Amino acid sequence: MDLLQGTLDMLVLRTLRAGPLHGYGIAGNIRATSGETLDIEFGSLYPALKRLEAKGWIASAWQTSEHNRRAKFYRLTAAGRKQLRREHSRWADFVSAVGRVMGPVPEVKA
Amino acid sequence: MTIPQRLKSLWPAWRSREEREMREELESLAEIAGRKELGNLTLAMENARAAWGWTWLESLFADVRYAVRALCHQPAFVAVAALSLALAIGANSAMFSFADAVLLRPLPVPDPSALVDVGNSAPDEPLEGMSFPDYRDIRAASRSFSGLAAYRITQLAAAADPAAPARIRFAALVSDNYFRVLGVEPAAGRAFLPEESRSPGRAVAIVSHDYWRQYGGGRPAVGANLRLNGILFTIVGVAPEKFTGLDRFVLPSVYVPLAMSQRLDSAAADPLEDRGLHNLVVKGRLGAGATLDSARADLAAIGAALERAYPKTNHNRRPSVRTELARRILQSPQLLALSKMLMGLVGLILIIACSNLANLLLVRAHARRREIAIRLSIGAGRRRLLRQLMTESFLLAALGGTAGLFFAYCGILLLGTLSVPSDPPFVLGVQLDWRVVEFSFLAALVSCLFFGLAPAWQAVRLDVVSALKAGGRGVSGHHRTHARDVLVLGQIALALVVLIAAGMFLAGFRKMLAMPSDFRTDHLIGMDTAPAMLHYKPEQARAFYRQLVDRARAMAGVADVAMTESIPLSPSQTTLSVVPEGYRFPKGREKTLVFGAAVDAGYFRVMHVAIERGRAFTDDDRAESRRVAIVNHQFAATFWPGQDPIGKRIRLDSADGPAAEVVGVARTGHYLLVNERPQDYVYLPYSQNPRMRMTLVVESSGDPASLAAPLRDLVRSIDANLPVYNLRPVATLYQSRATDTWLQFFQMVGAMGFIGLTLAMTGLYGLVAYTVSRRVNEFGIRVALGAGRRDVVWLVERRGLILAAIGIAGGGVLTAVAVPALSAAFFGLGATPPVVYVIVPAGLLMVSAAASYLPARRAAGLDPLRALREE
Repeated sequence: MDLLQGTLDMLVLRTLRAGPLHGYGIAGNIRATSGETLDIEFGSLYPALKRLEAKGWIASAWQTSEHNRRAKFYRLTAAGRKQLRREHSRWADFVSAVGRVMGPVPEVKA
Repeated sequence: MTIPQRLKSLWPAWRSREEREMREELESLAEIAGRKELGNLTLAMENARAAWGWTWLESLFADVRYAVRALCHQPAFVAVAALSLALAIGANSAMFSFADAVLLRPLPVPDPSALVDVGNSAPDEPLEGMSFPDYRDIRAASRSFSGLAAYRITQLAAAADPAAPARIRFAALVSDNYFRVLGVEPAAGRAFLPEESRSPGRAVAIVSHDYWRQYGGGRPAVGANLRLNGILFTIVGVAPEKFTGLDRFVLPSVYVPLAMSQRLDSAAADPLEDRGLHNLVVKGRLGAGATLDSARADLAAIGAALERAYPKTNHNRRPSVRTELARRILQSPQLLALSKMLMGLVGLILIIACSNLANLLLVRAHARRREIAIRLSIGAGRRRLLRQLMTESFLLAALGGTAGLFFAYCGILLLGTLSVPSDPPFVLGVQLDWRVVEFSFLAALVSCLFFGLAPAWQAVRLDVVSALKAGGRGVSGHHRTHARDVLVLGQIALALVVLIAAGMFLAGFRKMLAMPSDFRTDHLIGMDTAPAMLHYKPEQARAFYRQLVDRARAMAGVADVAMTESIPLSPSQTTLSVVPEGYRFPKGREKTLVFGAAVDAGYFRVMHVAIERGRAFTDDDRAESRRVAIVNHQFAATFWPGQDPIGKRIRLDSADGPAAEVVGVARTGHYLLVNERPQDYVYLPYSQNPRMRMTLVVESSGDPASLAAPLRDLVRSIDANLPVYNLRPVATLYQSRATDTWLQFFQMVGAMGFIGLTLAMTGLYGLVAYTVSRRVNEFGIRVALGAGRRDVVWLVERRGLILAAIGIAGGGVLTAVAVPALSAAFFGLGATPPVVYVIVPAGLLMVSAAASYLPARRAAGLDPLRALREE
């Protein structure tokens, strides 16, 4: 399933709220929590991480992973937390507005 | 990203560290997840770098790198293209530096655009100066200016070393606030104080940087003494090196308070109290919020009040507020016309060069069809490719602009030889400065758009499939070269215009050499003296000149002696205000300002100025006898058309001034410039109109230059302090003012013609050679079928000649428009001999034939077998 434009940043921020993760971990986490629906390509995720880092919403540091391997872990910053709240409420508004317009799923006539 | 962060990300060390970090991170992830799982990591990194926000710069670098590589592969193409542009831009920049020197360059003061010219506009004279009382009143009453400064330029006898003989120098008599209003800080010492400018003034001076360097003898300027017109001045300051006064051509050596006017000129009354003496230049610095229009409204009210209060002196006078440029154009409209003409001609050359480049780029784009088609087919955007091609054009333009500066410098050196031999010297001020450099690069940038955009656009619009199918050779056939034909036709047409212009100047120059001058120039030497500068009384000056003429006449080697107020064609001509009786002036005007001079009875005889009707002055025209005058033919034709001028009367100065009866008509000559329109001129007898500074004209029996030293000694023996200047043979003056001026303009326009011709022929040659190369196998077949060498040569030659003929015909139409404009801009061109219109096109056709012959010969020499194998 393709992502709506601009939602990837929000998903990353939301995922990191639970705690620091490395790049591949973020992708896996989004896939798992979405019930395998959102399969984010690493090729798009990685530039998004760098973009968020440049904006100061996430920060990175080298840590040792669960399998005792070194990896760069990303964590949410205070500014990122604020941004997540903003995007979250915008998203909620958006979903409810679209939902009102679309109404219930119509029955498909044969 | 914040700005410091963005700047940091430009730092190479930061970038390489960041890249290493990213690579490590991705490698560690690849170990965790497996490389396949992560996809294209290089692309991911590439996209991640975009977060630094400098992608545009990086791709620009890539474009430039690619363009440099592409250009390096074709050094011959680059050389031809850059050289074409360099010649054209160089010519343009040189002409710009000329226009800059004579019209455009801003005043050498801080914020020059806020400094406006405040003058008087009278119906007789749109550019009249201000009287000091008017200036004082306007300065007190106006609200539009943060300051109003007044000055006038004069000539003084100056001696930096008070014991040495004085030299004539330009000086500016300035109001107390002059330097403050201009915003110019003296480089040493101080500006003038208000009390130094209160009448009768104090003998203090500020010297120009150049003057003190030349004559100061290494002494510190401030506190040193200086003798000006025999009065001892104390130097209180030195003007900065960059500040050379407010006038073109005339650079003051010293600045002294205006209040010193009366003492310097030993005038009977204080000229600063004479409301009728309109001789000051006034500059105002616009105050905060004031505009030209608001200042105009402000001054109109003040001017109306002054006119009411002083109807006698201020009748019909309106204060005018102008920009500096407007003033210069009004002052010297002929320089505007000349600048326009020269800039127009070099503009044509730039167009020729640009068409040449466009042509070369079209060929190049054609040859690169395959490369461009491949790049398009693997996904390069058309815009991206367009940018790439424009980057190449821009590099070419930058190369041409830089090399153009060299040619500009050569042109400026040539223009620098345009000099006026005069004491004190007039300075043209053509120089290679930042303004010229900026102009060159602007010209390069504009031409880059002009020559690069269309070929690049055409290149990226190609049809990928057919371009790939046709292979590198593209579709042959000459229906493809229409655009290029038109470009070459245009080049030939414009080259014809420039060449005709060069022909006109050459014809004018030849005519000038063949024509006898308006006055005699051989065996004459002129010498200026100015007893006014030594405070002679008028009767003393008269006695001095009587003695000078008598003793000069008695000198060995002297055949005859005459006196005049100004020698024709010398750069400073005297003027007279006259009212020709019986002439009805247009409404509002009551007199006219014409060139004129007081001359003695010997003048017409010695200078060989022909009297067409009536008589010359004689020794019987004495101070107490009836006042007489001689007018030139042009004056008679202007003011008394169809009437007999002999016996008519001219009022001098104003309608109620003294009347002089016209007793003779002299032939019209050239008075200020060799290319001027016929000017009105009035001669008055010196005996009835004594002047305080005159020029002695001495006719020698041998070499006139040998009389220089004896004449100088003669003046010394009468008064050792009297400055002698402009002592030189009349032929020297004539040579530089007439012959050399023509020669230099011919050289300039001739060089333009040559450049235009070369560029247009390069274009024609390129096009014909290109056509030959496209038709190699056609020629091969023709030769194989038995066509002779001459047939092939003619086939190619015919194409070149047809192009040239159409171009010349088109140029003929343009010439019909251009020639009247040229004649108007440079009056002395006159009617062009018809032979110019024959020789130039014929010559152009011949050169075109030669340019097409080279490729034609190559076509004829083709080996049919090889030519056919190439397919």
